[in-house]
Amino acid sequence: MIRRLWSRLGLRARITGLYALGGLLLSLTIALSTLTLARQNLVEDREERAFSVAVRNAQRVENGLGAETEIEDVGVLLDNLTITEGSFPLLQVGDATRALDQAFDADAVPSSLRELVEAGNAGRMRVRVNGRPLIVTGIPIPDTAAAYYEAAATDDVEDVLNTLGIIVLGVGAAAILLSAALGSWASRRALTPLGEVRLAAESLAAGELDTRLDPPADADLASLTASFNGMARSLEDRIERDARFASEVSHELRSPLMTLNASVEVLNNNRDSMTERNQTALDLLTDDVTRFTALVEDLLEISRYDVGTASLRAEPIDLVEFVRQSVDHSPYDVVIDVGALQYLVVAGDKRRLAHVVANLVDNAAKYGAGETRVVVGREGDFAIIAVEDEGPGVPEAERGVIFDRFSRGSAGGRRGHGTGSGLGLALVAEHVGLHGGEIWVDERLDGREGARFTVRIPIGDIPDDEEWA
Amino acid sequence: MGTRILTVEDDERIRTSVRLALEDEGWTVEEAASGDDALNAFTREAADVVLIDIMLPGIDGFDVCRAIRRVSDVPIVMVTARADTHDVVAGLEAGADDYLTKPFAPKELSARIRALLRRARSADPGAPQMVFGDLEIIPEEGVVRLAGTDVHLTKTEFRLLVELATNPGRVLSREVLLERVWGYGYFGDGRLVDVHIRRLRTKIEPDPANPRYVVTIRGLGYKLQS
Repeated sequence: MIRRLWSRLGLRARITGLYALGGLLLSLTIALSTLTLARQNLVEDREERAFSVAVRNAQRVENGLGAETEIEDVGVLLDNLTITEGSFPLLQVGDATRALDQAFDADAVPSSLRELVEAGNAGRMRVRVNGRPLIVTGIPIPDTAAAYYEAAATDDVEDVLNTLGIIVLGVGAAAILLSAALGSWASRRALTPLGEVRLAAESLAAGELDTRLDPPADADLASLTASFNGMARSLEDRIERDARFASEVSHELRSPLMTLNASVEVLNNNRDSMTERNQTALDLLTDDVTRFTALVEDLLEISRYDVGTASLRAEPIDLVEFVRQSVDHSPYDVVIDVGALQYLVVAGDKRRLAHVVANLVDNAAKYGAGETRVVVGREGDFAIIAVEDEGPGVPEAERGVIFDRFSRGSAGGRRGHGTGSGLGLALVAEHVGLHGGEIWVDERLDGREGARFTVRIPIGDIPDDEEWA
Repeated sequence: MGTRILTVEDDERIRTSVRLALEDEGWTVEEAASGDDALNAFTREAADVVLIDIMLPGIDGFDVCRAIRRVSDVPIVMVTARADTHDVVAGLEAGADDYLTKPFAPKELSARIRALLRRARSADPGAPQMVFGDLEIIPEEGVVRLAGTDVHLTKTEFRLLVELATNPGRVLSREVLLERVWGYGYFGDGRLVDVHIRRLRTKIEPDPANPRYVVTIRGLGYKLQS
């Protein structure tokens, strides 16, 4: 259970915990030994002193005691003893006792000590009377059947020990905190390179293929950095090779396509002189050459994004006029909704935006059914171009992947194929991305059935004339 | 005499198929497989339109374009690999009048050629000449004079200037100029206009960096002022 909890903690938390535990053990050891030693030294020293004082006082008492001395007469004797602060003498003659202070009377003498003394032996014992710590020394005076007891309070020693205990506790706590902090710092320091590796890996995953780690100052980390950079390099090489390959293949396809297009056109110029069978064959050929050309053009266009040579050629475009013109050039019936907008000028790449609008309109007309509507609007620093249809819409599960290359929607039929190249919407998404914008598909805003493709691009800094030429 | 078109293209199959398609339009087509061939052919007999592929072995398309431009104002269409590179601007600056990207449909090429072959028109055929300060334009004769000296313009530059001159003081947008001079619609490439305006300015402006005749109206287009 604890082990599982422990393993669930992060490496940093665990290192910090281990350091704190080490600090705890260390300060505990030091505290215990300090306190034990101090106690031994202080208490034993005090006991020795109390004993010797008691022995001296017992000697005096013995000298002053006569065989007939009654208990009532010993007051003077006790008064004349050397009594230090916190010392309490008690004299026992026969069965009677006489104390000088109520803090220590006959009841306070522990019975085991009394027995020891009555047996004729001197002894000492630590007791606690009314919560006060005392060292009680008992010395027999056999000649007169008497016994001398002296109690010495040791609360000063206790105080010292208590203070010492508090200090040790404080220092120990500080030591634990310090080692936890040390552990935290050390682990952070040790894990910093890992953090850099993480950032670099994320950046690689985000498509920054030229991400590399700086060579570390620490030799221990050099091999990690070297192998990471090696991996990144081979990944970059590989992806670039693939992208270049696609680009070169489409490039190479353009020459034969050129010949095909021209030849098909020559054949079509003479279509009337052909037999019906030949005409059918020619129509098939013409359709597929057209589609093939569109596919290669889309491939070329999209491979520019993969190779990284796609660059935005921004010019000032009035989207209201732009959409009107796009719709005029479209073979479909399209409704335009620009609201109250007179004009909306953005910095855009005309050729690419034309592709975006044409593709979305084409898509809506082919797969959406019903009326196709193009909406132009403004949201703060962004321009919105939305294309709506009255079709069945795009199922939620497909909304994310519809912009993937060659994605095939199920419910949406062949929606997503754009002009039929299978790259249409993927390319549209790339064009929008190049403008720093976003594209998504959801339901129509007016609640009616149908899909709504929304393009949101920043209005951007409108370039000066001729700057973009 | 029919219209003669010189096509410069190193790929024989493309050359042949494009020739067949252009011949179907009723034009005479002469083929050249390299820059050298093209220059020899052009020197032998001038063409009415030249089609040049930029990617040529040996002398490249830009050089062929410049070489022809030195001796002729014939309309030149160049064929580039991509529309979004500097190739387009470089080709236009080398003297091309229009461009197409491969693979293009021959119908598109024919449309471009027809647009380039159109004669410069004057809004008012009765006005034999138009004068803007030191600038004198005689549309009927295809002549432009600056302070009495003939200025040599290409056909497209001339048509662009006449288009601006027939609307003196009025601002013409790129789209309008694209349509009237090149026969493009709204989605034509605005760089065609900008590069041609630049070329025109180097020929008729005393200080092309601070144009006096053909001025830019920011966000709107260009106009000719006297």
